[in-house]
Amino acid sequence: MKIRTIALLFILFGTLVLVSLMYAQNAPEASERGKEVYENSCAHCHGVEGRGDGSAAENLLPRPRDFTRGLYKIRSTETGQLPTDQDLFDIITEGMPGSSMPGWETALSANDRWEVVAYIKTFHAGFKENENPPKQITLEGKIPYSEQSVETGKELYVELGCVECHGNVGRGDGTSAPTLTDSWGFQTWPANLTQGWTFRGGFDTEDIFKRFIGGIAGSPMPAFEGDSFLNFGLTTEESKRLIELENKDEMTEAEEEESGQFYEKMDAAVDIALTIKEGGEVSADDIQTYNDAMKIVYEKSWHLTNYVKSLMPEKRPEAAIGNNVLRSQYVQGALPALDAAAWETFEAGYFPLVGQVVIEPRQFNPTIDGVHVKSFYNDTEVAFLFVWDDRTHTTGDETDETTGKPLEDALAVQFPVKVPQGPTAPKPYFLWGGRLPVYLWHWKASTPEQVTELTAKGINNAETQEAQGELQVQSTYADGQYKLWVKRALKTEDKKDLQLEPGVFVPIAFSAWDGSNGDVDTKRTMTSWYAFTLEPVPSSRRFVYPPIIAILSVGLLFGLRAFVQRRNTEDV
Amino acid sequence: MKTYLLASLTLLLVCCYVGIVGITFAADSDAGEMEMLVFPEKYKPMAVNNGGMISGMVKFEGDKPEMKMLEVTKDVEVCGVTEKYDESVVVGEDNALKNTIVYLIDITEGKDFDKDAKLEIDQKGCKFTPHVQIVPVGTRLTMLNTDRVNHNVHIFSNINTPVNKQQTKNRRKMPLAGVKKAEGPVSVKCDIHGWMSAWIAYVPHPYFAVTNEKGEFTLEDVPAGEYKLGYWHEACGTNSASPVTVTVEAGGTVTQEFTLKLK
Repeated sequence: MKIRTIALLFILFGTLVLVSLMYAQNAPEASERGKEVYENSCAHCHGVEGRGDGSAAENLLPRPRDFTRGLYKIRSTETGQLPTDQDLFDIITEGMPGSSMPGWETALSANDRWEVVAYIKTFHAGFKENENPPKQITLEGKIPYSEQSVETGKELYVELGCVECHGNVGRGDGTSAPTLTDSWGFQTWPANLTQGWTFRGGFDTEDIFKRFIGGIAGSPMPAFEGDSFLNFGLTTEESKRLIELENKDEMTEAEEEESGQFYEKMDAAVDIALTIKEGGEVSADDIQTYNDAMKIVYEKSWHLTNYVKSLMPEKRPEAAIGNNVLRSQYVQGALPALDAAAWETFEAGYFPLVGQVVIEPRQFNPTIDGVHVKSFYNDTEVAFLFVWDDRTHTTGDETDETTGKPLEDALAVQFPVKVPQGPTAPKPYFLWGGRLPVYLWHWKASTPEQVTELTAKGINNAETQEAQGELQVQSTYADGQYKLWVKRALKTEDKKDLQLEPGVFVPIAFSAWDGSNGDVDTKRTMTSWYAFTLEPVPSSRRFVYPPIIAILSVGLLFGLRAFVQRRNTEDV
Repeated sequence: MKTYLLASLTLLLVCCYVGIVGITFAADSDAGEMEMLVFPEKYKPMAVNNGGMISGMVKFEGDKPEMKMLEVTKDVEVCGVTEKYDESVVVGEDNALKNTIVYLIDITEGKDFDKDAKLEIDQKGCKFTPHVQIVPVGTRLTMLNTDRVNHNVHIFSNINTPVNKQQTKNRRKMPLAGVKKAEGPVSVKCDIHGWMSAWIAYVPHPYFAVTNEKGEFTLEDVPAGEYKLGYWHEACGTNSASPVTVTVEAGGTVTQEFTLKLK
């Protein structure tokens, strides 16, 4: 009986292994079909020979991948390793957010995608030469998200030097950010860790962990494994003790010796790690030492991942339409200033920006993701707070080569001069108006306390208004983020200005310029028309009318009842 | 009329052909731009008795170029203490060209590596020293960081596994795993300090020298025989296509001078 059970289990297990082997995700041998699909769908950007030099490549940044060097950004494998077939398949299927690489899930059948994987691998000899499958990053021992873990991760973020590129709070504004280039010499920007939806390889906790451990090949992002960490090879207690010793002004002889022993231990652990990497012989004890050291490394990495995760919202904010439409909140008395706590009390309207690609010169590689807007108004004035991320603070010190104009960060808020009456009435053309003019607030980083009012009848046809100075302006730039505060009277004397009143839906649109990304004139990021409204003040009459109606109704009912009763008695 | 049409059509075709051929050639020359060292397929270490010596000087042809000063944009209090220059062409007195690799292309038997040699690249002052480092295959190179700033050691290998590893401010010495194959020279960068640049040559035999400030090089303990002598310089290229042939006699000295110009 027992033997039969074992045998049965054995057969079951065998079947499972067989089934999983059959379904094992490995690309087929490169075929004519793969070549055909590649040349039809991929070669325009990646080039016929896979060098990343297709006809469209020049306009793209990040550039399409050059497959010949075998440098793949998004991998589930350790540093220096090639990706697995599944990694390649997933990228083709899902695309790469924040780049020009689309997902091909609907455009290509799964079979065709596997054929393309096989074909892409022919561009780099390493895929064929490697006898062993690439070594995957282990996801075991994941540490769940907790405040404490985030706190530990935050310390590591500084200790490991993440701030150098990703900045103090992760907006990709570190002091090394402006000079980064990829392995082909093209400019590249560090990820804004507060905008997970722009990550090329996804922003699940596991995705972030893999990028951190394995690095992003071909980019400046290093791999963090093993001895990149402080005191690799020491236990947590030993590490604490060593830091304590090193912080002492003077060590006793015994302490010197103690610290020396720690260093020997660390050197030994590094030696083992390198020997393993070099493919050398190591003893079972050595492997144990290595595994113990790596356990701490992986724990730290999960903490760091949790910290990075804590910097971003769970998903990309919804754009400010429908239920999320921007509503200016009524307050009595003075409107809150730029630094007032009142701004923290409600959700901002989010306006995603895209590159302007209608009119030359175009912006195919935008760096500003979107503008977050909040607003308050009172009986006479309205105040707006515009918040957007920009990795660099550019104030026009450098000029654009073609136009000779200064390259600087800027924002323009666009309204129609006259609010269209009714939902079907035409709005001005979204690119700074046309036949119907638009009214603009133009702010530039070089004059941070000033907003110029413009009237425009086209993207290249804007005029500065004669009457200026109706706007009050404050702005700040800190940790990769601009905050701009603008206040204006609801009604002005100027006929070229927009006049505001509560309860009306007013079209609004934005343009933003990142000077360090070469944005100038029409080369910018922008939105189409959205809308905002001054949320009507709930009338105080709501406390009067309903009770009166209620009392009247009750009175009426009683009267009716009395009337019917009386009639009935009379009848009898 | 017809002849005229036919002639212009032929002309057009010829133009197209020339254009295509031209583009193909241009693409080819692009591919060959990376100039590399040439290594023997196999190398066998053996004891060398009474070997000869090859020495000489590498000179730069033309006016001494002015070294471009690099802008220190980061960690100025540490990295900005000394001025930084683009070291791609360093010309000393008497037109001496520094940082040129001079080596034997086709040696298959000779001395073994000096096992005690310390192989290091220092990052003091946010500058790699030396600018060109020879690293034997399989030997560990140690990166030094005494400045207490963060660096990332980024080695752009193509044949070996590329390296991009953070060396935090607390890590004074960071040894890197030995590589498996001869390669290079490959570029070394620090992305955190974008101006930092160096070169590493992973070599299979010890007959490699890098010229000093005086442009001098010496290859010692060369077994007697005839060899091809090659050079590599980051801005001046190589002579791999037409190397110099030298004949080394037992215990003798051969002198060779090279004069290089910009590619």
